[in-house]
Amino acid sequence: MNGVRVGKRIIGAQAPVIVGWENIPKVEGGPVKQIFFTWFQPTMLFALIAFWFYAPNSIAKASTAIGIGIGFKLLLLGLEWLAPRHESWRLTWKELTTDLFYVGIGFTVVRLIDSYIGDGAMIEAIQHAFDWEKFAWFTGLPLLVQALMISLVFDFGQYWMHRGMHNWHPLWLAHAPHHYITQLNVNKGAVGNPVELFLIGLGIGGFFDFVPRAALLAGAFGLAVGTYQHINVRFNSPRWWRFLFNTTEHHSVHHSQDFEASRSNYSNTWVIIDRLFGTCVDGEAELLGMEGGRPMSVRETMTYTFTEGWKSARERFGRRSMGPMASAPMVPAE
Amino acid sequence: MTGGASAADRAMAFDATSPRAPLGYSVYRRFIDGIWHVEGSLALAPGDSADDAFERLDPLFQQTGTTHDRAGDTLTFRKENQAAQDKMAVFDGGVLRIEQDAPGLMLRYRLASRALLFCFLAPFLFLAFAQTTIVLGKFEQARTAAKGKKPEVKKPPVVLNPIDKALGAPEPDPPKKKKKADEDDKKPSATPAYVFAGMFAALYVIGRVLEDRRIKALFRRRLLNA
Repeated sequence: MNGVRVGKRIIGAQAPVIVGWENIPKVEGGPVKQIFFTWFQPTMLFALIAFWFYAPNSIAKASTAIGIGIGFKLLLLGLEWLAPRHESWRLTWKELTTDLFYVGIGFTVVRLIDSYIGDGAMIEAIQHAFDWEKFAWFTGLPLLVQALMISLVFDFGQYWMHRGMHNWHPLWLAHAPHHYITQLNVNKGAVGNPVELFLIGLGIGGFFDFVPRAALLAGAFGLAVGTYQHINVRFNSPRWWRFLFNTTEHHSVHHSQDFEASRSNYSNTWVIIDRLFGTCVDGEAELLGMEGGRPMSVRETMTYTFTEGWKSARERFGRRSMGPMASAPMVPAE
Repeated sequence: MTGGASAADRAMAFDATSPRAPLGYSVYRRFIDGIWHVEGSLALAPGDSADDAFERLDPLFQQTGTTHDRAGDTLTFRKENQAAQDKMAVFDGGVLRIEQDAPGLMLRYRLASRALLFCFLAPFLFLAFAQTTIVLGKFEQARTAAKGKKPEVKKPPVVLNPIDKALGAPEPDPPKKKKKADEDDKKPSATPAYVFAGMFAALYVIGRVLEDRRIKALFRRRLLNA
């Protein structure tokens, strides 16, 4: 495999990756199917924005957002079943059950830990030091501007956390289990070690005081854009959409078995952040995972971060304590 | 790959399903062991021998991470790190045996699934999470009461931007005094844990029935339509 040069990197030298939008297949089928899978994404996004913009205060609340989130994911699961992007990514009972286990862990244990040491707790601890009058300008901005800022600030934080995970070994140990997934399905975003779920949930959005409606609008971007990262459905995403937003195609490249390809497309919602920092690769991959596609069991996913962390720490610090001779390389250096 | 399944695996096969098995043991097999084991039988196509049947089923045991061992009329297999799209991915091992029955040759199988066991136990795990959340919530309540009420952070009233007003967005509600219920909303709730416990209970029932039918259909397709 020769791979394709993208900037300074060769993408697809280790595993097949399609590079370039013009090379990506389109939705196949009749005109109704074509129209549906071309307009579904923008329609849902604008419908959600309109809903949260105009919904009366009695409806515009977090519980409604949770309900819409569940309904939307059920709809996407239905689409996966009716029109799968790849047969090799078909959702089985075992995959669905395993994915939901991680979703459940995120909603229970991780949330519980988050309430003690998460961003909310940290922000609350220093919140009293703030002079809120200084932040009044933010709540005076138009709702959509506030929503865009919340979404972009949160995604900017996620981008650097994610990029850090791929570049700093201790963080990689938390993120690695997520890269053992071999297919993309609606709930696959939750698959991973709970330490990662905790880390990726950290944000600085809580520092801003915003109109609650703006937060709900920002959530609409997360739901109607971010959810498509992990999904087994092919859409004919419009050109402007794939320029601004992360898509299934982008994220499949990120999960590719090709090492260089996996070091791209770090953002959660706004792929434009990747474009700004030179980490965007437009393309798609079907063959996903690590170690040639070795699946990771639930038990290993839960323990990997700690067992590998222990091994790495022992290797690093144990060797140092054994004196200079112990640090002599046992294998030829790269 | 062949030869990975042990003699012990073969020994776990079918003796207990025989009518001579003691009643207590068969109850155990049905209600306890049956939680994560799937059993069944299928008649072979007329004229087919054990060799023909195992040859037709062979592709199922040529998957990545699958080892199998055939001894006469018995095939034992084991799966480790099976691929998601392996048609038998839900099973981790099992025994298939061809037996002579009244109507002719029959395939009897008994397959073990850790995924089914895991799904069966998952509701209990989430119920434990719910209880932990409740206990920690009570502990936190006591701690907050001992610490006294926190001073409220004074925030300026929210005024809607004129652009939003012109577009018809509803005005935000005036800031109200924090009620106790509002404070409780921020605390972790046990409800998600109960919801997931229920969800896994439902998934278990679906999976136990569905996977039983799927594997039977898969064997039937292989044996009769090959």
